[in-house]
Amino acid sequence: MKKLLAVTLGILTAIGGFVDIGDLVTNALVGARFGMRMAWVVVVGVIGICLYAEMSGRVVALSGRPVFDLIRERLGRRTGLVTLVASFLVTLLTLIAEIGGVALAFELASGVNYLLWMPLVALAVWLVIWRVKFSRLEQMFGLLGLLLIVFAVALFKLGPDWGQLVHQVTNPHPVGPESWATYAYYAIALFGAAMTPYEVFFFSSGGVEEKWSRRDLVTARTNVFVGFPLGGLLSLAIAGCAAVLFLPAGIQVGTLGQVTLPVAVAFGKIGLAIVLIGVFAATFGAALETVLSCGYTIAQYRGWQWGKFVRPREASRFHVIMIVCLAIAVLTLLTAVDPVKVTEYSVVFAAMALPLTYLPILIVANDPDYVGRHTNGRVLNFFGLIYLGLLVVASVAAIPLMIVTRAGQ
Amino acid sequence: MTMSGRVLHAQLHLLDRQLIDQADGRLLGKVDDVELDLDRDPPVVSALFSGRERIPAEQIAEIDTAVKIVYQGLDLEHHDDWTERNIIDKIPGAGDATE
Repeated sequence: MKKLLAVTLGILTAIGGFVDIGDLVTNALVGARFGMRMAWVVVVGVIGICLYAEMSGRVVALSGRPVFDLIRERLGRRTGLVTLVASFLVTLLTLIAEIGGVALAFELASGVNYLLWMPLVALAVWLVIWRVKFSRLEQMFGLLGLLLIVFAVALFKLGPDWGQLVHQVTNPHPVGPESWATYAYYAIALFGAAMTPYEVFFFSSGGVEEKWSRRDLVTARTNVFVGFPLGGLLSLAIAGCAAVLFLPAGIQVGTLGQVTLPVAVAFGKIGLAIVLIGVFAATFGAALETVLSCGYTIAQYRGWQWGKFVRPREASRFHVIMIVCLAIAVLTLLTAVDPVKVTEYSVVFAAMALPLTYLPILIVANDPDYVGRHTNGRVLNFFGLIYLGLLVVASVAAIPLMIVTRAGQ
Repeated sequence: MTMSGRVLHAQLHLLDRQLIDQADGRLLGKVDDVELDLDRDPPVVSALFSGRERIPAEQIAEIDTAVKIVYQGLDLEHHDDWTERNIIDKIPGAGDATE
């Protein structure tokens, strides 16, 4: 039973981290424009996040040092600072998108404008961070986020032409009005959404919050290999729903309402209610993870006391960072910037910050000082290096592609 | 460089490492700089620096993936205490454990 509960950490990181506002929007958008022709990117992304999350989980279980601690130790103060600035800004942008996402889910459910919900959402996020125990919040939103499975059920209910979907999967190239440039741009966005840096910050810091030790190595691995593939399947189901409903009609996805529409079409009002609760849990859970990650990155870089395992007054700077981040999120959203657009940009910027985040993990997972005899094997290092290459390519290509395609238009 | 006979690589094993209070595991900052006593051969570490605070080598308890120190006569939590007094303690529940 205790083991079972421990796995929920993985499920939360998978649902709230793998499927967050970024995945909801990007997968639906890509499904509507390219069908399942980009399914391979989700598979590549899931394998990548599994590889690197396993490494960071192993390092934290054996050495007690979370990812950002290592980034400064291995990259030094200056390069570490560049990484900090890049990954902090991306995480903050993601936080803004998640808060907007929760508010949009409330707007869809109530008809009341999201701008009115948004300050309440930020306040609720802060209250949960301030008062609720780490293990409890992770179980609550992890389990509720599982409701997103309704996307997979809806896909079957919509009765798609499976042959057509398989044909799209096996023909991974742009068709119709789409060019290779937009195809590559959205491939990077999807990759960035799958491997978002905050996932490893949250996962490894969560290991410290949960007081993982050598004995929890199995738990850490189960979390990764059950949680993330599950998140990947949900991503594919979201893209599949959009491919069935929007692609033939030539409709582009630009709102959260459109993302959830396939479930409403399949199951009516009840379906819509379920999917909205699922979206709420996933985005609210991800808002908690991103705001915590904002605090984790800065505090771990500076060596400050952090974490929810101590009382707020013992980690006062950590808590101040989070309050400031939430205030920035509220102020940004009050300018009436479209949260869906913020989401689209956040996943592309995430892709740019990836190599600097993942390189130190690969180095330390090979260092016996940290992991004893549990260093990476040759096969793991081979794939780790291949992914590092992929991350560099995606990172370098992101901005030129953004300019050439005018952000995917 | 030696510490109780142990050879260390200053940049790899000391710089930018996490400082931890040996007594209760509190996180106290990072090792920003290392002071060497070059009169000795081989040179030995005489102190660590975190911010402006000098931590004498005698107070280093353990060097592992983090550096554990005896936290006495030092003020590494100056800024945290300030933030605690002026901001965090003004919010209800700052001293409560989470539920």
